[in-house]
Amino acid sequence: MSIVAHLPRRVLSLTEEEAANPPAMELTGRRKATGPEHELAETIFAEFRQDPRHHEFVLGCLNCGECTTGCPAARFYDFSPREMLQIAATGDATTLWDAMQEKIWACCQCYTCNMRCRFGNDIAGIISVMRELSVVHGLESTRKTLAPFGRSLTLLMTVGTQVSSDMIQPDFFRDWGPFATGSDKVWDVSSDVMRKAIPSDVLQTTRSSWEVSVQTSLELFRIYEETGVLDMLRGLDPDLTEMLIDIIEERREEFQDARGRFAKEIAAMRGPVASFTG
Amino acid sequence: MLSANEIRKVVAERTEHQKGTGKKVVDVREELDRLEDRGEVIVHRIRPANRPVPLTTLFGWTKQIPTDRLWHHKSCGQCGNIPGYPSSLLWLMNETGRTYLNEPHQTSCTAWNYHGTATSNPVALAAVAARNFHRAYETDHFPLIHCGTSFGDYKEMRKLLVENATVRTKVRDVLRKMGRDLVLPEEIVHYSEWVHAMAPEIVARKKHSLTGVVATVHEPCHYYKMVPEDAVYDDRVYAGQRPAVPSGILMELGATVADYSTWYDCCGFGFRHILSEREFSRSFANLRKIRPMVEEAHADVAITSDTGCVTTLDKSQWIGKTHGLPYMLPVLSDVQFAALALGAHPYKIAQVHWHSASAEALLTKMGIDWTSAKAEFREYLRSLKNGAAPELLHPAHGEIENYFAINKGQVLPEEVPAASRVPGATAPIVGGRSE
Ligand code: SF4
Ligand code: SF4
Ligand code: SF4
Repeated sequence: MSIVAHLPRRVLSLTEEEAANPPAMELTGRRKATGPEHELAETIFAEFRQDPRHHEFVLGCLNCGECTTGCPAARFYDFSPREMLQIAATGDATTLWDAMQEKIWACCQCYTCNMRCRFGNDIAGIISVMRELSVVHGLESTRKTLAPFGRSLTLLMTVGTQVSSDMIQPDFFRDWGPFATGSDKVWDVSSDVMRKAIPSDVLQTTRSSWEVSVQTSLELFRIYEETGVLDMLRGLDPDLTEMLIDIIEERREEFQDARGRFAKEIAAMRGPVASFTG
Repeated sequence: MLSANEIRKVVAERTEHQKGTGKKVVDVREELDRLEDRGEVIVHRIRPANRPVPLTTLFGWTKQIPTDRLWHHKSCGQCGNIPGYPSSLLWLMNETGRTYLNEPHQTSCTAWNYHGTATSNPVALAAVAARNFHRAYETDHFPLIHCGTSFGDYKEMRKLLVENATVRTKVRDVLRKMGRDLVLPEEIVHYSEWVHAMAPEIVARKKHSLTGVVATVHEPCHYYKMVPEDAVYDDRVYAGQRPAVPSGILMELGATVADYSTWYDCCGFGFRHILSEREFSRSFANLRKIRPMVEEAHADVAITSDTGCVTTLDKSQWIGKTHGLPYMLPVLSDVQFAALALGAHPYKIAQVHWHSASAEALLTKMGIDWTSAKAEFREYLRSLKNGAAPELLHPAHGEIENYFAINKGQVLPEEVPAASRVPGATAPIVGGRSE
């Protein structure tokens, strides 16, 4: 008997219900983008191709696979830098859209692929361009991927360092063991005292990597405002962005107060310290 | 695998290809001079007061490494959770009589965030870099970059600012709004290059024999895979086929540097992964790095020279025992290891207690009496708890510096004629730092 006779009939013809609700995936595994999603995919694709970095980073592909052979992410994820580069070079709106949902976030940004690519592609760089676009357009998948980063983004935007010792909490870093997270238990003193035992005053804080002066953090925030980073973040997480603006407003007030208190000293100084008003 | 010869070939092919587009320059340092002549940038030059030592890069170019009057560009990951890393470096500078500034007027490069979440863009990254460069310049101290990622990022940003007039103009405009200007350092210098340049002075102060100590080196990706042509190589280290840092100082100190098959692999940090997908980081670190280091090379210690690498390789091991990987190989930065060899206090200076994998067996092998050092440290903690003043490597900052990036005898750009905008003032030098 021919094997065809064993196949369920419905494979050969769609039910009415299936015809009315076509599956999101084609049998090839490619998703079909439709409706508003499709329009967004086309917009992103156009922006991607027009980004000046596309022209600089994507130079062609020999299909040699050298990049993927050395790629750490390829060992543990369904991910390949060769595929990313080829999507960047010759893909269409749908393949780019699909890669941007999850795959681009597997990359470790180690630059091993760049180092191995005889064609000189900047694969790590083009993956970053894809990521930037996913942030700019606030893709739902990107929001989910970056959801755990609220704390580190807050630090980064307000003081310009990404970690603080009080972030290393046992609940979140249980896998790091007692020495990394439980100094108080191991040494019987608070984490403040553990930081005090570091022989440099700028490092003796638990709330940031080091003490950052108010002027420095306000200058940094000015950079974020002027270069579109704040707008980027607003697309991703409007609540977080508003909170950051509030924090910075408070710091601006603090800075103005200090300008009053140290008016005499500042008046004797020149350069940015004298001209920067917050 | 990724030998210097292979890398040179890949980079040369890439450079040729990119030159064809008419946009790329080969050695940005030459272009820096031209831009300065046109008044577009101020070049922060290395001066005799910086006591430079020449080293050689992958392409045989000479790279001057300033060894004095340095501006510490700290790393957020180091300071945040491996503070013995920066404190060991400061200690080595005090021991060798070098002066420096360690200020609260620095931000990180923000590139960890960029590589992890992409919530930034090249103009912002370049402006962040240039703000730090300007602060270092105005204090007349040369920036020394602690982090491998900052080092790689700053080289990329310097290249971008040199090659792309649009970005250059945008960044200059942003900086001028805050009273700063576009300054680019003549060299982007990683602290491990300072260590390599200082090796004779460091080795001369060695207190402990490292005979019999087997070290495996993890070469930080962002040290030599980003803008590879600028990484330092030395014919005395792996015959010039691998980066000279941090292996060079270990060899000079007398440790045995042992090879293992996956030396070129990343550590598994992943920027995003280390915070939100550590299943990957720890699998990669344990299976691809720690296991070969222990099983192939029988290492006593893993040494590396970047923030993320120390963090990932160290912190990932504790959980390894649940997967039958009970190695707990100590992981230290090159400067912690060197400071220990020179007699630094293992807890007060090298701060080894912040590491997950205990360094105590290693300390014993190095001939360091850690039990009394530990008891002394416990006593010190008790005294701090009771309000004693902490011991410091450099004078503490005054309250005004919590707010303002104050003048420090520096060069103020408006005072220097555009044609000769090079730092000239020398500040009085006080103790371990110059201010
Ligand atoms: S940069 Fe990303 S794609 Fe390239 S080798 Fe590293 S993990 Fe793989
Ligand atoms: S190494 Fe370069 S040329 Fe080879 S497959 Fe990867 S991207 Fe293509
Ligand atoms: S090995 Fe990891 S942490 Fe170290 S430089 Fe590479 S990616 Fe960064």
